[in-house]
Amino acid sequence: MRRLLLFVAGMVIVGACASGGGVGDVPPLPETSADELQDLIAGTDHPLIINVWASWCIPCRSEAPLLRAAHDAFGTEVRFVGLNVRDGQDSARAFLNEFELTVFTHYADPSGAAQGSLGAGGVPLTLFYAAGGELVELHFGVIDERTLALNIDEIIRRSG
Amino acid sequence: MEFTLLWAALSGAGALYGALWWMGRRDARLCVRDLWEIALTAALVGLAVGRLVAIARSGVNPFSHPGDLILVRAGVDTVAATAGSLATAAWMARRTRFEQLDGLAPAALFGVAGWHAGCVFRGACLGTPASLPWAWGQPGSEITRHPVELYTALLLAMAAWALFRLWLRDPPAGMVTGLALAAAGLSRLATEPIRPALLAGPVWWYAAAAVIGGGLAGWSLRFGRSAGTLPGPSPLQ
Repeated sequence: MRRLLLFVAGMVIVGACASGGGVGDVPPLPETSADELQDLIAGTDHPLIINVWASWCIPCRSEAPLLRAAHDAFGTEVRFVGLNVRDGQDSARAFLNEFELTVFTHYADPSGAAQGSLGAGGVPLTLFYAAGGELVELHFGVIDERTLALNIDEIIRRSG
Repeated sequence: MEFTLLWAALSGAGALYGALWWMGRRDARLCVRDLWEIALTAALVGLAVGRLVAIARSGVNPFSHPGDLILVRAGVDTVAATAGSLATAAWMARRTRFEQLDGLAPAALFGVAGWHAGCVFRGACLGTPASLPWAWGQPGSEITRHPVELYTALLLAMAAWALFRLWLRDPPAGMVTGLALAAAGLSRLATEPIRPALLAGPVWWYAAAAVIGGGLAGWSLRFGRSAGTLPGPSPLQ
């Protein structure tokens, strides 16, 4: 049991350490409003995924590589949009640079008003829409690979 | 919502401990406390190794934000986690060679079955579309799907039960461990085609686990000695 406790303590100490990264050549994120976001959703002719994130959101870090993988696999069939909320431009750009998430479009929502129009608060948040803007799934919190893959399959089939 | 993974993990740990406790009541050779400690430590080490490899494989330096290691929800590399767990368990049980691992293996399979069955807490049981009577869909959806995680749990539980019955018959040392590894690989191999995935699953590794496990069982049949009584004092005491 002593070895087990030492291992857990070691993990906690390692987890307490942190460092940052640069913005690279990531351009500033364009700001969006509630109306613009709703227009984007209603006008989509492809299945749509909106991921609400922030650089200060630790769980968002863990799902960022998954979103990139999802875009790599389904980017031609599904439209991916990132909504960066209540964040600074430099921090957000550093986040995108670190995870190479510039493969899809991200908007800045510094006041959180656009997110408010989605009907849910908090980050991370992932919304799945069928073509035409029908909300299929609203996932609160960190998303895992299976849930992401399942909901992508669901919105593709419902849009078909 | 964030605690759903914890509930799934607890169902796995509960199944593991329940199986160990029950096996301990059936056979006095089993030291439940030692095996529980081996299993728990192996699981935690496996989780850490799997998470580390998953972060590195996604192209992110795992040491730039070491805190990400704790966030297991978005990815744990199955192969690395399994290898880390097996290596840790083998090292902790090194003094008794396969005898302790043979005692642990059926309970470990029950634990993994419990983890898969914990999909009901996570709302993540479903696989590819199916029109079978027991298939169901996501809330509000007309598309029904295979409950693939429950299939896996069922296969693992049946294998665990069969291996426990075998273990009671005192087979050559290493056989139960080998067969358990093979059963774990085969159960994933059988259900992988109906599992939704973003990334190509490590199918070849599941096949490799089945072959290595089968090889170990064959080797033990040829060269292994019966476990009989566990030799010497426990390495954890």
